[in-house]
Amino acid sequence: MSTAAVTLRPGTPGRTGFSIQFAFLPVLLIAVVVGMSLASPQFYGPINILNILRNASLLTIVACGQAIVIIAGGFDLSVGAVIALASVVTAKVMGMAAAAFPGNDAAIIACGVLAGLCSGLAVGLVNGICVAKLKVSGFVVTLGTMSAAAGVGLMITSGIPVYGMPESFVKGFGRAQFFGLPTAIYVAIAVVLVMVLVQRRTLFGRYVFAIGGNAEATTNSGVSINRYVIGTYVLSGVLAATTGILLTAQVGSGQASFGGDRMMLQSIAAAVIGGVSLRGGIGRVEIVTVSALFLTILGNALNLLRIDSRLQPVFLGIIMVAAVAAEELSRRRKTRG
Amino acid sequence: MERAGAVGTPDQETEPLLQLVGISKRFTGALALDRVDLDVRAGELHVLFGENGAGKSTLINVISGTFLPDVGSFRFGGEDIRHLTPQRARAIGISPVFQEFSLVPTLTVEENLFLGRELSTGGVLRAGDMRKRARALIDELGFDLEPAARVDNLSRAHQQMAEIAKALLGKVRLLILDEPTASLTERETGRLFELIAKLKQQGVGIIYVSHRMREIRALADRVTVLRDGRYIRTLDAALVTDLELVELMTGRKIDVLFPTIPHAPGKVAVAVENLSVGEGIVSDVNFHARAGEITGIAGLVGCGKSELVRAIYGLEPVTGGSIRLHGMPYEATSPRASLRKGVAYFPANRAAEGLALTRPIRENVSMTALDLKRFVSFGMLRQGAERLLINPIMKQLNLRPPNIERPVGNLSGGNRQKVMLGRALTRDLTIFLFDEPSVGIDVGAKVEVYEFMKRLVEAGAAVIVVSSELPEVLALSNRLYVMHNGKIAAELEGAAKTEQNVLSKFFTDHLAEAAA
Amino acid sequence: MADLAPALALAETSARSRWREQLWQWALPIALVVLFLAFATADSRVFSPANLLNIAQQTSYVALFAMAQAVVIITRGFDLSLGPAVSMVSVGAAVAMTAAVTNGSDPVSVLFIGLIAGLALGAATGLFNGVVIALLGVSPFVATLGSYNIAIGIATTLSAGKPVQGMPDLFSTLLYRGNVFGVPAAIVITVIVGVILHVALTRTVFGRSLYIVGTNPRAAAVAGIPVRRVLVCAYALCSSLAALGALMLTARTGSGEPNLGGSLSLQAIAAAVVGGTSLAGGRGGVGTAVLGALFVTVLSNGMNLTRIDGYVQMVVLGAIIIVGVVLDRARLGTR
Repeated sequence: MSTAAVTLRPGTPGRTGFSIQFAFLPVLLIAVVVGMSLASPQFYGPINILNILRNASLLTIVACGQAIVIIAGGFDLSVGAVIALASVVTAKVMGMAAAAFPGNDAAIIACGVLAGLCSGLAVGLVNGICVAKLKVSGFVVTLGTMSAAAGVGLMITSGIPVYGMPESFVKGFGRAQFFGLPTAIYVAIAVVLVMVLVQRRTLFGRYVFAIGGNAEATTNSGVSINRYVIGTYVLSGVLAATTGILLTAQVGSGQASFGGDRMMLQSIAAAVIGGVSLRGGIGRVEIVTVSALFLTILGNALNLLRIDSRLQPVFLGIIMVAAVAAEELSRRRKTRG
Repeated sequence: MERAGAVGTPDQETEPLLQLVGISKRFTGALALDRVDLDVRAGELHVLFGENGAGKSTLINVISGTFLPDVGSFRFGGEDIRHLTPQRARAIGISPVFQEFSLVPTLTVEENLFLGRELSTGGVLRAGDMRKRARALIDELGFDLEPAARVDNLSRAHQQMAEIAKALLGKVRLLILDEPTASLTERETGRLFELIAKLKQQGVGIIYVSHRMREIRALADRVTVLRDGRYIRTLDAALVTDLELVELMTGRKIDVLFPTIPHAPGKVAVAVENLSVGEGIVSDVNFHARAGEITGIAGLVGCGKSELVRAIYGLEPVTGGSIRLHGMPYEATSPRASLRKGVAYFPANRAAEGLALTRPIRENVSMTALDLKRFVSFGMLRQGAERLLINPIMKQLNLRPPNIERPVGNLSGGNRQKVMLGRALTRDLTIFLFDEPSVGIDVGAKVEVYEFMKRLVEAGAAVIVVSSELPEVLALSNRLYVMHNGKIAAELEGAAKTEQNVLSKFFTDHLAEAAA
Repeated sequence: MADLAPALALAETSARSRWREQLWQWALPIALVVLFLAFATADSRVFSPANLLNIAQQTSYVALFAMAQAVVIITRGFDLSLGPAVSMVSVGAAVAMTAAVTNGSDPVSVLFIGLIAGLALGAATGLFNGVVIALLGVSPFVATLGSYNIAIGIATTLSAGKPVQGMPDLFSTLLYRGNVFGVPAAIVITVIVGVILHVALTRTVFGRSLYIVGTNPRAAAVAGIPVRRVLVCAYALCSSLAALGALMLTARTGSGEPNLGGSLSLQAIAAAVVGGTSLAGGRGGVGTAVLGALFVTVLSNGMNLTRIDGYVQMVVLGAIIIVGVVLDRARLGTR
């Protein structure tokens, strides 16, 4: 294969459309960062930076799962509710485990975290099975599980925060810092790295792209797509649960008010601004990460600039519509030209 | 499925690679395949020959597992095959290359080649190995194809190459090629032919669908002719003349099927000057159509003939040139504007572009006339008037059963086309653009469509028929344009309007290239 | 042959499958009656005239929002911004009316200013959605999620996060306390709007075009239907109906509430879909919206009276949504 030409041959226009997306978001991000560091000294404060990174991490983890579901041509409205459910389940199970194994923090934490992750897995499984086997639209199914999961979370807690988790979970994990950075960041980095590998190097990642690009052609090529569709929803559920557990450890109590519609909408916004196409088949986790960071910094910047927090959604809305409209218009120009 | 039907056993000792006996397939209303037999030997290129709608596509879909036959026996490699799925077909070595591609547009060529059979260890892709094999295959095929290019960035020809490469990646025992050269250049076609020869030596059986006589001459071992979903004959390619093949393909129905149309050419209704659509899809086309005659446009798939009439109707953006309707300059802005100018268009793909399948016939017929006083006053529908107008229209068109409240989705192909034709009678129109008017409908309905055109011409309308089905345009049209690669290759009239002339124009530049 | 593959999916309806289709059509009304009787046997108050009126009144709000969603769901879209638009209209109308009151306008003109301000805000939201979706080609999800955020921002900013007080009595008299022969205003308004909308959907060019665009947008374009204009009108109509509902709710609470819309967007979609409006487009209407609204309301009313925990109710609602679409899927499958 020594003759293999590395340069693109004529007639095969490479991925120019992609590079615009690649460049656009980081430039915007840098612009906001530079602008803010000039406008407000507080922005550079270590506390503020840590705060940004922590929030961005939580959003990134959820957005990665959401992105995978959208790339496969679906939607997951239930992530916000799963965050709440996982938080409550984790705290509650830890409370019960503390009674079962008094003093054995490792066992208690293991039980709690496992239970939390399983709650996310269960919701993801229901979503996935309904979408893949019953061929129901992902939008409505996850709308249903969203209501159901939120309801279960509230049933468990009656709306009151759940305490009683081991100190080592809260102080030693949730609020701990390694090399000056909170644990959530390491978790997020690990998730992103794994997801990048999954997207590029695994069968699962490849099939997710293929299903979103053209499900019929994928089936015709001999791929049993159902299990991969279910896989995307399970992944999204588990990642949302991870965020719920991190939030619980950080705050120190399980709360049914975590996540919610806001987090769900933000995760979709992060994915969409990060170049994930709602038509399916297109999107990279690393860009979604940048987009999650961008959204978090933007919110922070608006706060520091004392722009009425109530007006902030307006910016988010406009940016999101503008980003997608720009992508759509460039796509149209490409197909026309 | 029973084996009892296997009477006509082939004369050689070894069983053929593929043996179909008495395969029938029925779709809503129409019998697409009627007791078709086919056998393909290992190392043989077997051409399927027939007009559009003769059942070739349905047959190759049956062979590749997309459709299950209703009856008939299917043997492959000496085994009875039942309940074939596309996956299973691939697994046993049946590899189809369809005209509608099975590629995922957002993936790269290489990713598509391996789709469904990636090389992986424990779920992790072996990207390097796949790249090597993809390059090796593409180099072996001699295609000018970049494995890392995304499919939606490729031209149609390159997509076709990717599709062929995909079919050849795995273990192939039977390769199905459906008009594979439709969008290839001469050089690429040459490569493909070399490749076919190599595959035949390796004992691969090949089913080849084409109406290009030259290719059949160059490649075929045997030819099976289908007509109207029926098996006509299987012939040794070396012992049959072109004329015989065409006769078998068209049958004697030319006299029976096509009405004599009393052309009375009047004023020029449509005049197109230097018209261009897209980038070279249609370039610098000049043509005209007169009232009182049928103007035909013939050409191969993808030659731009369909885009030409779509541009006149306002569905494709015009990039250059001008259109005149009845002598007045017209810029086709939107379908509604065209309808108001008296232009109607009947799309080739009626399910995708023509009909709202779950809506009743009545609504589908009045769809193009919702801006007219006879159906609407002050934004309100006059439903009584609608029924009173559309009932007789559909009766006149012989809709069976004549119930205009049934959803269109329940109708056969022929009745669906009648619904489309019904639209022509809901408003005053003078110019009719038919795109592949007889695709997917049975013979009886075809005759009715042709009779309908005849009535239009008699009433003084200008009718333009775009068709890949040569006998159809030859018989119907008064004057015939032949399109090739986005340009008008010839205008034929009177005695010059023969199948031979048209076919020679299809290959003009192929021949020129070959000579050079 | 291009025609044949879709033909496979829609095989001739045999008598038996038509019968099954009929059964599916009646599944929801039957379930509704069963549900109602079950609750009535569990608690006699369910059948009391006061409660029936209560159910009717409650349904009228939900039905109005579900009808609004149905209009755009028919075109294969939906409107996530409906809830925030309701909040925005509530606050906007209240601010306009209090401003007019302080300027010393007479109650009738204050009322008109409020109604016009509210409906105009609604129509503007819808126009924004429609233009972004139809002209810029953005998916309904992103477009209405964008306006969702924008509307929330405007609603909370206009109201400074607090309820806006000081509307004239006439406003709540007209839209809430008033009645016609004892029938509360909300019911009267919803019935009138429902009848008009039904006529609009079934008897006008706009309605016809809406269904055709939702069933097959490409065929609609080829047939000369102005697809973009129809879509813009659909979203404008959707948001205007939502604005009317917002004004009615505002009249009930007596103040402009920045959180009035809450999770109304998804609830309204749920009601419409449970009633049989298909997210695949082209199917549904006033009937399905009202049926779905009635079902959801009866369910929550019954659960309230039988003291089923509010949180359990959320779970039940979620399950009902999923079962609803699965049934809808099955109903489509029989065709």
